[in-house]
Amino acid sequence: MNFEVVIGLEVHTELKTKSKMFSAAPVSFGEEVNTKVNIVDLGMTGAMPVLNKSGVEYALRVCHALNMDIDELVVFDRKNYYYSDLPKGFQITQDRRPIGRNGALEIEFDGQVEVVEIERLHMEEDTAKQFHFDDYSLIDYNRSGIPLIEIVTRPTIRSAAGAAAYLERLRQILLFTDVSDAKMEEGSMRCDVNVSIRPFGSQRFGTRCEIKNLNSISNVQKAIEYEVARQKKIILSGNQVTQNTMRFDEDLKQTVVMRAKGDAVDYKYYPEPNILPIRLDHAWVESIKANLPEMPDVLVKRYVNEYQIPKTDALILVQTKPVADFFNNTVKHTDQYKQVANWLLGEVAAYLNKSKLTIDQTRLTPVNLAALITLINEGTISSKQAKEVFTITIEEGQDPNVIIEERNMKQISSVEVLSGYINEILDGNPQSIEDYKNGKNRAVGFIVGQLMKATNGQANPAVANKLVVELLKARC
Amino acid sequence: METYTIEQLAAKIKNNEIDLKQYYEELFEEVAIQQKRLNCMVTITREEAFKALEKESGSMLNKIPGVLKDNYSTKGILTTASSRMLEDYVPVYSAAVYESLEKANMALIGKASMDELAMGGTNKSALTGPVLNPWDTSRISGGSSGGSAACVASGLVPFAMGSDTGDSVRKPAGLCGVYGFKPTWGRISRYGIIPYASSLDAVGIFTRNVRDMAIVTRELAGRDNRDMTSSFNEVPDYLADLNPNLAKRTIAVLTTVSNEVRNEKIKANFEEMVAKFKELGAKVIEVTIDQELARAILPVYKIIANSEATSNHACLDGIKYGNRQPGESVDEIMINSRSNGFGDHIKRRFILGNLALATENQEKMFRQAQRVRRLIVQEMDEIFKNADVIIAPNSGQIAPKVAEASDDMLSDEYIILENYLALANFGGNPSLTMPVGMVDGMPIGLNITGRIFEEQTVLDVAYALEQVLDFKDRYKRED
Repeated sequence: MNFEVVIGLEVHTELKTKSKMFSAAPVSFGEEVNTKVNIVDLGMTGAMPVLNKSGVEYALRVCHALNMDIDELVVFDRKNYYYSDLPKGFQITQDRRPIGRNGALEIEFDGQVEVVEIERLHMEEDTAKQFHFDDYSLIDYNRSGIPLIEIVTRPTIRSAAGAAAYLERLRQILLFTDVSDAKMEEGSMRCDVNVSIRPFGSQRFGTRCEIKNLNSISNVQKAIEYEVARQKKIILSGNQVTQNTMRFDEDLKQTVVMRAKGDAVDYKYYPEPNILPIRLDHAWVESIKANLPEMPDVLVKRYVNEYQIPKTDALILVQTKPVADFFNNTVKHTDQYKQVANWLLGEVAAYLNKSKLTIDQTRLTPVNLAALITLINEGTISSKQAKEVFTITIEEGQDPNVIIEERNMKQISSVEVLSGYINEILDGNPQSIEDYKNGKNRAVGFIVGQLMKATNGQANPAVANKLVVELLKARC
Repeated sequence: METYTIEQLAAKIKNNEIDLKQYYEELFEEVAIQQKRLNCMVTITREEAFKALEKESGSMLNKIPGVLKDNYSTKGILTTASSRMLEDYVPVYSAAVYESLEKANMALIGKASMDELAMGGTNKSALTGPVLNPWDTSRISGGSSGGSAACVASGLVPFAMGSDTGDSVRKPAGLCGVYGFKPTWGRISRYGIIPYASSLDAVGIFTRNVRDMAIVTRELAGRDNRDMTSSFNEVPDYLADLNPNLAKRTIAVLTTVSNEVRNEKIKANFEEMVAKFKELGAKVIEVTIDQELARAILPVYKIIANSEATSNHACLDGIKYGNRQPGESVDEIMINSRSNGFGDHIKRRFILGNLALATENQEKMFRQAQRVRRLIVQEMDEIFKNADVIIAPNSGQIAPKVAEASDDMLSDEYIILENYLALANFGGNPSLTMPVGMVDGMPIGLNITGRIFEEQTVLDVAYALEQVLDFKDRYKRED
């Protein structure tokens, strides 16, 4: 029997707003535990939520980027359950009226293009972080109340590879809208997966399993692959899949049952009485859309069509927003688009790789990279010198023009100046002229070497070679 | 010792006509006596009161003694909400109301007893036991703000703060013969008050006359950015604007309620009040609300209030603060802490709330209750198109005997008459109860409810009636 795989993804992303979703405590990561909390985040009785406008703005950015219908009446609900990481005993979320509905994201993998339908995007708050030890647990409330958005797809993904491609694309969107650092390994982007299988042609969905807490895109893919195989085996042996909540055990490389469906909690969602429905200003919602940066798919099209950059290179350029931004800013200062791309994908990438920095952490500026490329194209410096200048400018931030001036790295291309040097050398080395007469071509090399020595290597090699030959001939 | 209104004491302080140290020494002696008699306090804050004497403010409440219901968070001061769950809870922050009062340099005398977590109408469920009525200590003070009502009714303080979710300020005010006022939902910040049901909860004030009520309301009203539901509406000068002229006022008698009164003396008193309003020049009309809707007030209230209460009190799990009981797992700690921390009637209400919110019931219970609430508010709004205020007796009875008082009665008289005050919570309307007579030696009250944000109208109507009655500034104190 052939099966069709049906996958739906739920992605939670922490927003990097300045303060929390419903409290004035700062959002910052990697801080000392329990230092970025206030009474709201601790669930002190009597504390009240105050909605963070930036949280709404960030959510709207992603809604726009995913082409969603926006509900301009913002309504929050309470999701009720008891857990030690949930200080209020309920989470403020959006149940009945998510801020965004009906989005779509185009993904490309294995050479084919698919559209993933997105059902909803809603705003909520994060829980506290727990640390479990043998006979006790500790709670860090710094994470409690950090803004979250949850993005839920329709069950339209049909393969593990498709799920991975979707997550890559979604992650890019989150980075390009500048709402999150979207790091799965650090938990600022989290993914739950719903997987079921059904015989091809069947209209009914099979029983699904949910896999929770996956910490990397590759684990999402592995978990789905394992789960699909597991479900196939069950069905082919004549049994039925039970609806379970699973987790992916990285060591075993298997999905493992966390809890059965029967243990499901009734969250008893109902409207949050302390936040009355808020009517968003339509002009504000539209201005967020207007100010949205170009999304990666748009950029790729522009790079290919306007700048004649190969698509494979363009795709790499838009992998992270800092590099794409850097490219966009550099081509404002030079029309050598391809060279800019080559530098970013070549020398710059190698440097970043080696130094483990991101491009915005270095001292390289778009203006300086453009200047470097201009100097090469004008023949002011050789490509060998360019590498030297590059290393200096990326580490020290100096203008390449100043670097070559200060370090006398400017090439001497003037025939007049170089002729002066060469004639002086030839005057002092009559033997070389003799050698050249006798057909010994190495005499050219020797004279060029002497010339480089005399000019501190600044002689333009191409011009120098040609000139040395000319002047030698003239003396024969 | 002398008992003053806010205005009287403020004048004496201003004119240096009183030795405050001595006054407060005597006051705390009196507090001890009344506490023994009435059991109205959970915590007496002598130190806080004397600290205020060292400071100054330009407010009329400067150095005026006051009391907070024990569900107002007071930084550094025990705040129990009369629940075992919070018997050792000392908040790390203060409620907005307490902050405003501290800024005004009020002298905090203590934290008043209440029904556990403000759920109840008798004050019998308080962890520290029932609060007794100053007029007859065999009777209840009413609840849930019973301690605050008793403090004002015994003349200890000229004002006290309560909270009102269904009638928790107005009902005990009526039973104790003082003024109880619940301004519009959103008029005064709820920040820092241990909630009951957020969509119904309102700050409430007890005083012994209308002028003092205007003073305290003005001091506390206004926008607070920490409570998103608090209003940006401008705050009038309620005291300066008091106007007892009723010539252009229309007063609606809510006969759906007043016709349910069985007690002849209370009935007669109410008729007398209606006549007085006419004498004062007001246009009096009779209005009704649909009988079926009137009978729905109590179930709608119970469903909404208890549903919201279940999640509002879900933070009380013994994990972060509160009375923690040991257990083998986190779940067990929570279960044991909550089982130990809450009284039986609280548990019953939580169960009811959870039942009404459960997905399988929510549509026919909680959501249905919300819809009916909306219908009831629409009826009220219709009445307010033709009337400035709605009046009705505050209760059909005098304060019940401690042993007999119960929240569980099912007569029609009880269902409508003893629960209609929640109308003002459904719509968020300003609503004031004032003493208007004595029946069998006990005070009885009249309720006046107005349009939202029209506190001034309600105060004006009360002010006019107060001047033709002899029940302001009354209190009852015995040794």
